[in-house]
Parts: sequence; structure tokens; C-alpha cells
Amino acid sequence: MTVRVLSHQEMNIDNEDDVVLVRRAVRTLAEARGFDSFAVSALTTAATELSRNVWVHARKGKAFIEEVTDGDRTGIQVEFVDQGPGIPDIEWSMAGGHSTAKSLGLGLSGSKRLVDAFHIESEPGKGTRVRITKWKRF
Amino acid sequence: MPNSRDYMARLGFDAQELSSRRHFFQLTDEDLARLAALRPFAERHNDAIIDAFYNELLLQHPESRLFFTDQAVFRRAVTAQKRYFLQLFSGVCDLDYMEDRLRVGTTHQRIGVAPKWYLGAYAHYLRLISSHLFREQGSSPDSELSNRSIQKIVFFDMSIAIETYIAAGVEAIQRHQSAIRELSTPVIQISERVLLLPLIGTIDTVRAQQVMEKMLARVVEAQARVIILDIAGVPVVDTRVANHLLQTTEAVRLLGATTILTGIRAQVAQTLVQLGVDLSTMHTCSSLQEGLEMALSMTGRAITTRGA
Amino acid sequence: MTVRGQIPILRIGSTLLASIQVELKDTTAQALQADMLSVLEKEGARGLVLDITGLDTVDTFVARVLTDTGRMARLMGTHTVLVGMRPEVAATLARMGFSMQGVHTALNVEEGLALLARLVGARPMPT
Repeated sequence: MTVRVLSHQEMNIDNEDDVVLVRRAVRTLAEARGFDSFAVSALTTAATELSRNVWVHARKGKAFIEEVTDGDRTGIQVEFVDQGPGIPDIEWSMAGGHSTAKSLGLGLSGSKRLVDAFHIESEPGKGTRVRITKWKRF
Repeated sequence: MPNSRDYMARLGFDAQELSSRRHFFQLTDEDLARLAALRPFAERHNDAIIDAFYNELLLQHPESRLFFTDQAVFRRAVTAQKRYFLQLFSGVCDLDYMEDRLRVGTTHQRIGVAPKWYLGAYAHYLRLISSHLFREQGSSPDSELSNRSIQKIVFFDMSIAIETYIAAGVEAIQRHQSAIRELSTPVIQISERVLLLPLIGTIDTVRAQQVMEKMLARVVEAQARVIILDIAGVPVVDTRVANHLLQTTEAVRLLGATTILTGIRAQVAQTLVQLGVDLSTMHTCSSLQEGLEMALSMTGRAITTRGA
Repeated sequence: MTVRGQIPILRIGSTLLASIQVELKDTTAQALQADMLSVLEKEGARGLVLDITGLDTVDTFVARVLTDTGRMARLMGTHTVLVGMRPEVAATLARMGFSMQGVHTALNVEEGLALLARLVGARPMPT
């Protein structure tokens, strides 16, 4: 079934406070949509990890926060886009466990474990795009 | 009944869906204009059509008659049906119209009108409308077009109603699932600071997560020092389940409490060691009895024989 | 009481208590760590209680700063107990696979202080 967007919100990430603002926006939306407290925490934490990655590695980027439905259920989708240095070896970074000085490794692999869908595209020198989706539990 | 606007959103009924659905049903503005022009016809024949609908069909069939054993219910249904009939000829098909159709669908579903009754009755209803239309206006290109517009809006309505049936079915399954989940992870308070969670049945990732969340919430709520997780009733304990157990134990530790794993059968112990799973960081016991004793001693209590 | 960054550090006998009530961003967390260590260096303490009841989100960065603070304090002869973690936070950290092994934990401040008393035992306070 196709995923339909019910609401859309766009935020800039270009300083440290924006990481906190994105986190708050995601939390507020998840709470308003009736996600249980564990799901709220999981989604909010994943969004924090990913927006921090944008800030720390690219210095500038955007977060798109969307409320989505595929007909049977509703969810929240957050997409992080930057034109930063990109990730040379996604598989290695996603393997987790290890971490660079700024803990990129666990941030990415950990975020993936917190959400229902995780999609990443990255090209060295061009930037990174990460999309996460969390569906509301019944 | 769920809030219709929320329900609309969940089913994905928005402006985009409305326009796409209307396009697929070829329900054009001309159709709507034609329907609006038929409004006087609808008003003239409303009583006759609806009365025939009830008296010839719904009250004749032994099962559908059961819906109308109460006179008041019958009168209400007839009034609602007459209102509904006129709305077909409002010449409007927007989000409010959709919401209204959705409400009709949920009402039918709630009172137990099965899809077969709904569809069968609608087929008859449509035949009644057509025969009244052609009797009054004769067979002409114009009345053919009118009849086609009526068919389009009726099928459009039915498409919405059918989706509410499906959605209600899915919702019922979800409710049952959540009830079963709740029953399958009972947390028992053993003493002031000790909780027990006997796990029974297969553990998959979803259930493991629910078990962890329930344990953590209860530990904090009860300010429990120890939680005993008894896995005697879990048929298969493999690497995956073991990892969930380790994860849960670590999460409980982060809260400042301790997990004791009990009910480890010989076969499970064998499997875990052969798989190379290291549970050495956990407190483990073979029997629940031993686990209870360990938990009570950790919290400064003991099991004693009365009168001893 | 010491307030240098945004987080007040309270002294209870030979123990320091930091109750984190503000939403932590990276620099606030790092400032807290620096403040703690500098208080330890100047005044010394047997134990340190980090109360995170007020934190609704703890990501890997903040978790690492907290864990590191405990390890650094240990090198300076101080035991650290992390108290009041919310169930949601514990579940999230465990699911991410973040290990806080080596950090002592307790359900609340009272139990944290009791645990410190056991850990420190009758060891005399270094002067």
C-alpha cells in the first residue's frame, strides 16, 4: 500500500540548539498522535542521534517531519538531509559497536534498532539522506 | 464510535484521495449537476421508493426482518434512509460528503448489518430507483445519463462503506491482539520489593520488546529491587531470545534493579552453552523456588516455616 | 552548593549530588562533566550521585558523557551512582545496544546514597 503524507513540517539544522528543537518537535508530534511513551522515547532518541549527525558532520542540513498513513496504520516519518562529507562505508558505519570520536557508529546502528523502517543513502562529498519511520502500535 | 475526522485520516480519506476516487469512478461535475437537477424527482418519489424498499425487501426476508422487530427502530431507520436518499441528489461530493458516508458505514457495521445485507439491499434499492426514474421520464438518452449518474454516486458510496467494514475488522483484530498481549505478560508482586513475571509461550522480537517495557514500567512503579523472570514456560530459547533476555537484564540494571532468571531447563542450558551465549552476567537459577529465595535474601527477607 | 553551568551540584556530607533537570544539549552535558570533575579535584568526595529523573531523552552522546564522568570520577577515587533513570530511557539505551557496564545504578536518590555507603564502607575520607 502506498504511504500518504498527512502533515509536513520542515526544520533547519544549522546550530546545536536546532538538534534540541528537532527533538522537541518530534516528541510533541508523537505524543499528540498518541504514541505510547516507549515509542515516543525510541523515536525521539533516534531523531536526536540523526540530527546530531547532521550538525556534527555536515554543520548544515534539514529535517522533514511528516505524519504518514498507509491505510491500515499511522506513523511518523522523519527525514534528515545534508550536503556534508557523506559516509564512505555505510555498511561499516551501520555495523555499530565501534564508534568514531563523535560516536557516529552507535548513533546510526542504534537509531536503526529503535524504528520500524530505516533508509540511508550517502555519497562521499555529496551528502547524506536518512529516513526513519515509526508506526503507531495497536 | 471513533471520531470521524481521525477515522478519515487513518483511512487516508483526504482531498487527494477524494479527487482520485472520483476520477476512477468517473464521477464528474456534470454527474453532480445532473444529480442536483434530479432533486425534484427524488423528492416526489422518496416516500414510495423507501417504503417499497422496506416493505418489499427488508421486511420480507426472515433474517433482515430481525433488525426491525422494534417499531421505534424501524421508524428511525426509515427516516434516516429518506434523508440519505435525498443526499444522493445534493449535487455535492466533497470531504464532508465522504465523512457522512463514512458515518453511515460505521453505523451499519456497528449494528451488525453484514456486507452481504448491505450489498444485496443496495442492489435492490438501485433497481427501485431506476424503475421509478424510467417510469416517470421514459427511456431517453437523458434519462439513461441520469441513471448512470445515480449508479456512479451509489457505487462511490458503497466503496466507502466497504472500507469501513474492513477497517472495523482490522481494528477488532488489533483490539484482541492487545488484550492477548496484556494477558500474556502478567507481573505478580511477591513482596514489597520483589516482582515475578512468568513467561509462557513463544518469544519473538515484538513480544520480547513488550515484556521488557512491561517489566521496566512495573519496576519503577513498584520501586522493586528484584524482578524474577521465569522462562520455564518458554518452549524455545535460542540466541535471539537469549539476546533479548540480556538486553532486558541490562535495561533493568540501568533502573537500579536486578533480574533473576529462573526456570532454565537442562535442554535450554545445553543449547545456550553450545551456541556460545554468555549469560554469566545474569543471576540464574534452575527453579523458581531457588529464585524466590535468592530474591528475598537480596531484599533482606527470607521464607520461613510458620511456628518454627 | 555549586552552580557553575546550568546544573546545581549539591553536597550532602561527603557525597555530591547533581540533579539534572534541564534538557541536555551536547555542550551542557560536557560542561556538567567538567564542573563535576573540578569540584572533585578541589573539594574531594567519597561518592557522586547523578540524578537523571528529569531526563526524558538520553541519547548515546549524553549516555557516554554520563558513563565517562563515572569512570573519570573513579580514577579520582570517587564512586558514582546513576539514579532515577526512566523506564523509557532504559529501554531505548538497551535497544540501541549501548552498554553502561561499570556504572552503578539505583532506583532513586535515597537508594543511591545507601548504595554509596555500602561501596565506600568504612574507608576514611581522604584529606
